[in-house]
Amino acid sequence: MNVSCALGLHCLAVTRPGGSNIGPGLPLLVVLLIAGAGYGLTRLSRRRRERRVADSTWRPEPPEPSSAGAVAPSGDRAGSPDPVTPRAVSAAGLPDEPAGGWAVEIHGLTKRFGPNLAVDNVELLVPRGSAFGYLGPNGAGKTTLIRTLLGLTRADAGTMSLLGIRVPSERSRALARVGAIVDEPRFHHHLTGRENLRLLGAARGGGADGRIPGSLARVGLTERADDKVASYSMGMRQRLGVAACLLGDPELLILDEPMNGLDPAGMHEMRAMIRSLVDEGRTVMLSSHLLDEVERTCDAVAIVDHGRVIRQGPIDELVRTAGARIVRLDCSDPAAAGRLLERSGITAGVTLGEPMLTVTLPSGASRESVAEVNRRLVEGGISVYGLQEVHATLEDWFLSVTSRLGEQS
Amino acid sequence: MTEDTSTVPAGPATHSAVTAAGGARPDRAAVPGRYRSWIPSWGLITTKHLELRKRRGLMVVAVLLTVGLPVLVLGIRLLFHVADPKSYGPAGSPSVFQFLFQPMAEFGFIIAATLGATAGTTDLTDGMFRHLVITGRSRLALYLARIPAGLSIVLPLVAVAFAIVCLVTSFAGTPQPASVGVNGISVPAHLSQAQLKSWILQHPRQYDQAFVNGGPPFGPAPGALPVSRSASPRPVIDRDIATIYGDYVSSEAGQLNPPVNEMVKIGLWLALDIGTGFLVGLGIGSLIGQRTVSIVLMIVLQIIVTPLLAGHVIPYFLDGQRLVVGIALDQLRPAGLAGGGAGGPGHVLFGGRGVLNIPPMPTWAMITVIVGWIVGWSVIGAWRMATRDA
Repeated sequence: MNVSCALGLHCLAVTRPGGSNIGPGLPLLVVLLIAGAGYGLTRLSRRRRERRVADSTWRPEPPEPSSAGAVAPSGDRAGSPDPVTPRAVSAAGLPDEPAGGWAVEIHGLTKRFGPNLAVDNVELLVPRGSAFGYLGPNGAGKTTLIRTLLGLTRADAGTMSLLGIRVPSERSRALARVGAIVDEPRFHHHLTGRENLRLLGAARGGGADGRIPGSLARVGLTERADDKVASYSMGMRQRLGVAACLLGDPELLILDEPMNGLDPAGMHEMRAMIRSLVDEGRTVMLSSHLLDEVERTCDAVAIVDHGRVIRQGPIDELVRTAGARIVRLDCSDPAAAGRLLERSGITAGVTLGEPMLTVTLPSGASRESVAEVNRRLVEGGISVYGLQEVHATLEDWFLSVTSRLGEQS
Repeated sequence: MTEDTSTVPAGPATHSAVTAAGGARPDRAAVPGRYRSWIPSWGLITTKHLELRKRRGLMVVAVLLTVGLPVLVLGIRLLFHVADPKSYGPAGSPSVFQFLFQPMAEFGFIIAATLGATAGTTDLTDGMFRHLVITGRSRLALYLARIPAGLSIVLPLVAVAFAIVCLVTSFAGTPQPASVGVNGISVPAHLSQAQLKSWILQHPRQYDQAFVNGGPPFGPAPGALPVSRSASPRPVIDRDIATIYGDYVSSEAGQLNPPVNEMVKIGLWLALDIGTGFLVGLGIGSLIGQRTVSIVLMIVLQIIVTPLLAGHVIPYFLDGQRLVVGIALDQLRPAGLAGGGAGGPGHVLFGGRGVLNIPPMPTWAMITVIVGWIVGWSVIGAWRMATRDA
């Protein structure tokens, strides 16, 4: 039986003047196609509308009117359509808003990949005009946060703004002032470095094309600009990535692992470049797992682990307030000294090295504790030749806070 | 635009290093408007063109398959004719025109689809998509820029190839006969439908031999209703003149060079064929994101699915068969092509194009199917581009 007979659709049959019977199927299929396209578009526009609504319903919490050290609300900001958060100190211990405002402001950001929580309710504030490190071990969610921030993937919850402009609702406006490298910088291999920049400059518009020579000179690639990217080393590609960032004359640069693949000289150059960018008044936010590099490059840092920001603030302050005192001991019998100190219970940890013994005192320990270590060793019959208190590095602090988190979980 | 400057705190005024080398600092307030626009800028189109053009391997294959083939065939024929005119006829002839047109259309479609799939996937596979998204430029603009960029490569190539064939056919071809042989009967060439009707009424016996007893040179149009032509009274001729004229035009196409206006029509049809291939390839490439898979799908569609579906009428699926873009395009062929006009088998290449056995469909249906494919795949490709994680 003919399908049209079965459906009783003879009335829809189209007969051509020449005599060929078209049948009802074709018009029906065309109608179905149009209906399907219409349905898809409707769903798409509804989703976008919902996203807009979700964005617009967010309002910053008003600051505590009488709390000490709180930043006073800046007049009509709360009522403005695109406010910069006036929140001074959050429950998570976020820093005070600096005079220039926040370059990056993230509240409650969550991103899931199936059952995995890649970014977990992150609160992050990056002050303008600083080098800010986003530090965490591999798989901590650094790149995911950056991708979400730049609108490369969608957030499941939370609010974000770049340079005071809401994203993703006004993403295009915000990104016009942002340069970013995400993951390993990759380009069209069959094009030269300059041609790749031309492509990106054309996408940026606004005179970006004219900034290509300056950007190439800035990263030291002028000589190799007309070579194909296929012949570039990893370090050169990193530098080309930074040149691409500079095309938009950005106020904010977001660099994901910019030191990856660089040799020591390249790292030194990159560090100098980042510092010079900050000196020009730009904000640089960089993610890294290289603690030493972050410590040398950045003014402030946020530590992330398991998708959560554990601590954030100026590096000096964080290290100072981390609390651990570390003492290096030169003594006659380091192994016996280690056992003795562990039994005494006055230390948080003892690490046996050759020839020194490293003793970590508990958080909040006073200088008197250092003298107590000396006294215990002498009483235990161990000769102490030298005792040196060392300042904690970002690495020490990082390891202490991340391991603490591991213990809690 | 003023809201940009009023709501956003002014940035530091010391970003001088790059700006100094690159010229004056742009007016920041003017940037966002352009960023939001879905219309691709000229610069974006030209750089996308550059990105495709610089794929040397693809370009070499494209040139070889479009321009190379007619140049090779016609070049050899020209040389042979020059060397020994008595043994070898002129380079151009109606049959050579028809012969060269088929691969031009087939390869042109495949090359266009390959270029479209490349344009739709190259940013993703090379890792540039992320960079482009980070610029903040509208993703729709990024997608739309690929259309003129790709078409401006493939269309000129095919146009050059077609122009070569037309020029050789016109200026280095056989002399045009004044009549067309239809089943051994000479019928004057270049008649319009009205002129043919007039000639039939004046020459009923020749008409019977040419069009009735002998039948059309290539057989009746597939799926066409049977035409009673035995008695040849005037009402019957009035009724069937369109089909008779189609048979006449088919005979003409095999024996005469197409006139200039037909060549223009054929060229436009070829452009439509190539453009469709590119846009569908672009849409599929953008949807799938993998170049090889997209190209394989397009080749399978063109040289396997279309000929298979067009080979036989499936009674309960006839309208489904008609939804295949290759079938719709085939039915839109100009009359100047063998198998065009009223239909009928021309040169068979890859088992399908030009011998499609699908009964004729109305012009509106052909156009709807073709536009549906173009718009449908473009919408799907643009949607995927706009929603894809970068």
